[in-house]
Amino acid sequence: MVRLLFLGKFGDVAPAAMAEVALPGDVHTLADLKEWVARQQPLLGAAMNATRTRLILNQCVAHDLSRPVADGDEVAFLPPMSGG
Amino acid sequence: MDVRIVSRAFDPQAEVAAFAAGRDDAGALVSFVGTCRAGTGGVAVDELRIDHYPGFTEKEIARLAEETSRRFDCPDLLVVHRVGSIRPGEAIVLVAALSTHRSDAFEVVRILMDYLKTDAPLWKRESGPQGARWIEPRSEDYARRKEAEKG
Repeated sequence: MVRLLFLGKFGDVAPAAMAEVALPGDVHTLADLKEWVARQQPLLGAAMNATRTRLILNQCVAHDLSRPVADGDEVAFLPPMSGG
Repeated sequence: MDVRIVSRAFDPQAEVAAFAAGRDDAGALVSFVGTCRAGTGGVAVDELRIDHYPGFTEKEIARLAEETSRRFDCPDLLVVHRVGSIRPGEAIVLVAALSTHRSDAFEVVRILMDYLKTDAPLWKRESGPQGARWIEPRSEDYARRKEAEKG
């Protein structure tokens, strides 16, 4: 299983069922995972495509979406930040 | 250096007093407090909600604070950032910097605030009688961040 977190406005359109998912056989990388999420949840996919989305793998910024995803990983999807 | 994420209202004055107590090594103390406005551009705000990513948010803010303080003469730095549900008038963020001289203390606070606006993993959502909306950094926030990088 992979733990998924959707922060900020992504959280508004992410169903609870997406919090933990079994990795489909054709998902090997972060890019695959992002595409799979968008296919499963078109609203979430549209929200992610409409803005800059950053992926965080096991609490570290993932600049390279070709990095592999495996069972036990935690992946967070971040919209643009607005602190301060 | 003290970096904290808090989910309850905090007293910025008390935080600054505790931070500066006994620091006779520093000749300058600059602090900035950002508070929740009751409205933005004529739209009333009843509540501001700030989401964070536990663990990652703390780590990233600590990294930004560390990097900024290292660029200046800044022996100590305090960052307190509120998350969760915030009411108008309450403090959202406090940044306080100690330095030997005022210019470095001012710069650390100004630059770190610029970074927090665009790079801290926090997400603001304003709600009021006219509904709720997520806040994204304005183009001037990104421009300031670019300036901050140059120092």
